[in-house]
Amino acid sequence: MKTFPMKLVTVVCEALAREHLTRALTEEGAHGYTMFTVQGAGAKGSRVADIEEFGNIQIEVIVPAPVAERLMERLQRDFLPHFAVIVYETEVRVLRQDKF
Amino acid sequence: MEFFEAIKTNLTSPTILFFVLGVVATLVKTDLRFPEPLYLGLTMYLLVAIGFKGGVAVSAAGVSAVWLPALAAMALGAIIPLWSYPILRFVGKLPAVDAAAICAHYGSVSAVTFIAAVSYLNELQQPYEKFATAFLAVMESPAIIVGVVLGKLAQRRSGSPFKSVMRVALHEGLLGRSVFLLLGSLVVGFLCGQRGLDATAGFFVTPFQGVLALFLLEMGMVAARRFGDLRKVGFFLVAFGVLMPIMHGVIGIMLGELVGLSLGGAMLLGTLAASASYIAAPAAMRLSLPEANPTLYLTSALAITFPFNITLGLPLYYAVARWWFGVTP
Repeated sequence: MKTFPMKLVTVVCEALAREHLTRALTEEGAHGYTMFTVQGAGAKGSRVADIEEFGNIQIEVIVPAPVAERLMERLQRDFLPHFAVIVYETEVRVLRQDKF
Repeated sequence: MEFFEAIKTNLTSPTILFFVLGVVATLVKTDLRFPEPLYLGLTMYLLVAIGFKGGVAVSAAGVSAVWLPALAAMALGAIIPLWSYPILRFVGKLPAVDAAAICAHYGSVSAVTFIAAVSYLNELQQPYEKFATAFLAVMESPAIIVGVVLGKLAQRRSGSPFKSVMRVALHEGLLGRSVFLLLGSLVVGFLCGQRGLDATAGFFVTPFQGVLALFLLEMGMVAARRFGDLRKVGFFLVAFGVLMPIMHGVIGIMLGELVGLSLGGAMLLGTLAASASYIAAPAAMRLSLPEANPTLYLTSALAITFPFNITLGLPLYYAVARWWFGVTP
């Protein structure tokens, strides 16, 4: 079966940054994303997620490599200094290249 | 003696006992947890129910009776940050942006504290203006906007551009979901009047105290989870979180009398002035002043001021109101 290389960018961040984040994704050229609420602990304290606004979300988005590059740069510039965020990218292979 | 009776009445009400139970649940590390959607559902129910009932009360009393005290409440909310900020900045030696974020929380209000005050007055059979919910609705946003302006002025050179930040702050302050739900239900209640309340009383009135008790059980856990952060915020903020509410409570009660409220209504305005927002304000500050440290404002509003107000604050404001209105010898 033929598959195509893509980048999976994963962002774990404060739920409050949701609007900012989804706007950044769309503006940098992502065609869609998956988002879910998560909990855990990190450098800025544990995120018990008892109140939605103080919890964490995780967003996963599959994009071509150049888009991933732009997106990560923008996150580094606009989000990392202010919010509790973790960003990482992974190599993935997809079936339908044009979907992303 | 009467003051201790008043404290006892408050501390033995089901709502406060459930709050304490929530605190205990967290301190002894039970595995009790409310699912997050339940928290959200309970908040929505409480906001809609009090907004709706308040709206019906406004339609019964007439807008002419409400506008002056509501305007006074709004003005009080807007100016509280103006003296809280220098205190935080120069007495507490806090960074400007943190001082701005914290003072916004103390000017803004806590709906749950207000609801607890109303149920306390009900328990004491003390009459009050039922339209006081309107004060709650208009006091939430002004301080948030003032706080953001103070914060942006303090860090003019750094941070994001003023205009876009103000847009976020205005949106959060005026259209955040708690403000929207409360104001929206107030309008709905105003439009349907008593007929609408009769039709929905089985849902909005009868189960209210029970839902409030359940919600405060959760709030006890939410507050207690942040007790650990008390060590991080330092002695000054702990003192600030107790003393400022007392001062604001007294100012609110005096202002209430000045604009013609009854003893009960003035006590409610005092409680509103004393309360600190922990939903709308933190969300707005995190987005508009992300440089401010959230541990400081969340801990002081949620782990210090909120528990103080609903346990000892309410009887204290009631005693002050009675004294100010010349009821107690």
